[in-house]
Amino acid sequence: MSEAAPAPAPAPAGTIHDLGYKRYTGARQATSTRWQVIARNQIASVWKTWWRYKLALGFAVITTFVFGGLMFLLQEREVNGVAFPSGIVATLSDLALPWAMTWYMRAAFLLSLTIGSSVIARDMQSGAFTFYFARSVRPRDYVIGKLVGMLAITATIMLAGPLALATARLALSDSAEHLLRLLPIVPKALAIGALGTLAFAAVPLGFSALLGNPRHTMALWAVYYLVVGGMAYLLARLMLNGAAALDITMALEGLTYDLLDIVQIRGRSKRVEIPMAVTSLLVHATVAISIVAYRVRRAHLEGIGGSS
Amino acid sequence: MMGAMMGAMMGEPGDARPLIELGGLTKRYGAITALSAVDAVVHGSIIGLLGPNGAGKSTLLKCLLGLIPYEGSAKVLGLLSRAHGAEIRDRVGYMPEQEAFLSGMSAVEQCTYAGELSGLPRTEAMQRAHAALYYAGLEEKRYQPIDGYSTGMKQRVKLAQALVHDPELLFLDEPTNGLDPRSRAEMLELILDLPARRGCAIVLSTHLLPDVERVCDHAVIMHNGRVGFVGSIDELRGVRGRDVELVVEVKADAARLAAALVAAGATCEVISAVALHVNLPASATSGLVFERARDAGVQIRGLAPRRETLEAAFLRVIGQTTATTATTATTAAATTAGAPPPDAGAPAEGGPLAALKEAS
Repeated sequence: MSEAAPAPAPAPAGTIHDLGYKRYTGARQATSTRWQVIARNQIASVWKTWWRYKLALGFAVITTFVFGGLMFLLQEREVNGVAFPSGIVATLSDLALPWAMTWYMRAAFLLSLTIGSSVIARDMQSGAFTFYFARSVRPRDYVIGKLVGMLAITATIMLAGPLALATARLALSDSAEHLLRLLPIVPKALAIGALGTLAFAAVPLGFSALLGNPRHTMALWAVYYLVVGGMAYLLARLMLNGAAALDITMALEGLTYDLLDIVQIRGRSKRVEIPMAVTSLLVHATVAISIVAYRVRRAHLEGIGGSS
Repeated sequence: MMGAMMGAMMGEPGDARPLIELGGLTKRYGAITALSAVDAVVHGSIIGLLGPNGAGKSTLLKCLLGLIPYEGSAKVLGLLSRAHGAEIRDRVGYMPEQEAFLSGMSAVEQCTYAGELSGLPRTEAMQRAHAALYYAGLEEKRYQPIDGYSTGMKQRVKLAQALVHDPELLFLDEPTNGLDPRSRAEMLELILDLPARRGCAIVLSTHLLPDVERVCDHAVIMHNGRVGFVGSIDELRGVRGRDVELVVEVKADAARLAAALVAAGATCEVISAVALHVNLPASATSGLVFERARDAGVQIRGLAPRRETLEAAFLRVIGQTTATTATTATTAAATTAGAPPPDAGAPAEGGPLAALKEAS
């Protein structure tokens, strides 16, 4: 190409290559759209490796098929010890969604461990803040972009799965009247899924902004989720019922059972109530986003250096 | 400071708009003043930004990119950085000194992403990423993950990602750091080629004076948060104004010409049989050399102003800035305490040699 159209300036052999430069005269995207670019890149980058996202997604897909299958094959089987407030014993098709939620949460935790809990730390470690803030990216564009990216990724597990099972439950209804009666299960599944998505996207992101080493932030998140969550559960069983809300899993589980009006007659009957569960999840997410925003704001001011 | 003001007043008739205009630019971090009332107007196509560690170069870059608040004014490409930071960053490319890569990405992916973050549509960003990487000499290696690149290749990627959005001005921070001699030469060739081929000006922040000498036409020298010099490299090296120091080449018998010039009041140093350094007396011009050569029957083959080396000029400016800073500080302290001001010529702590050592 360069032989056919000689370059405008003489170049030393072997060092200057030019595919034909033209100044860009088109319009530039508004600065307010940068978060979309960051979110899209976040999604694209996690899709590359099978173990980071596809593993958790596969886990969620299997969960959906297993509980969907159980719902279809054993739909009339009653489950002892679990009932609706009216006293009607719940069937397996009624319980498939709340039971599946436990497995969706496990998949979401796996996802948060491999991706979410190291997102900001990876950028801190690789010097990516300099890359971002030398361009027309504002701290809020970065925070919103990363958060939206993580929400979208987590939603494929925490939101899409419950929604699929809720839809399947509707499809298995006996009559139009039954269908109408079951219809609220869809917005309820959406609400549970949305809060679960927020918790499993934002909270690990907050942990990833605490330290500059991705391995350390992953470990910190795992310890918080498993150990602190476990301690909150034990505390709740021994003395303080409200303490269970500190555990993200317990809060989401309580929310699911309460919203779906399922009462456990035997075993662990006392669960976290809706207001407490929602408050806990929202506080978790707010604190996490605040940590991210603070860390990014600081990096914005310090991220670009001259010569050392 | 005088140099800065001189640069500001001189302007450059060929350049309609200065690249950078600083007016009373001051930046304080608590009790520390990183930039102290900097005034400068910067022209040129490749400008060397020089100064030892802690001179204020990084802070100046942050102010110019609109990343940190400051007092005074800083304009880049005619835009106030305080109000138009994002717009400036869309029109300016920045090649950082440290690594600034996203893990797991190939060079093409990273450059495309960089283009999109600078406001280019995705397709345009991708096309320009390929062109910029090819221009930077990465060719087929641009599809490989950056994690496995050598230092030289990483420097090329950094240059490409700074170029991808078609900037009008490039800030290059130590672009030849860690490069072997061949890669360094190639990088400097690229830097030299950029203004002509892409019409962008370059601010080159570096400690390597040979790099500046090779590629830069203008220089900004900073020290202790002040600008010590702004202007062309020629002005920097011959900043003493009138060319009173000359290098004279003759066909033969330089000693005879030297004797004739000494008799006329000049100071001479014979370098060889065919060359001598001449220091003309006050009010004399180079015509004196021709006159005495004719009288002595010596044929002149060449005559040129004797310039300082860039290193010497740098040390001189740094030394002057250090002395000015020390005098200003001591005068201020003395005024407060009622003590007399010290000798302005007294060496300040951390003199020019210390500055150079620090810089290198």
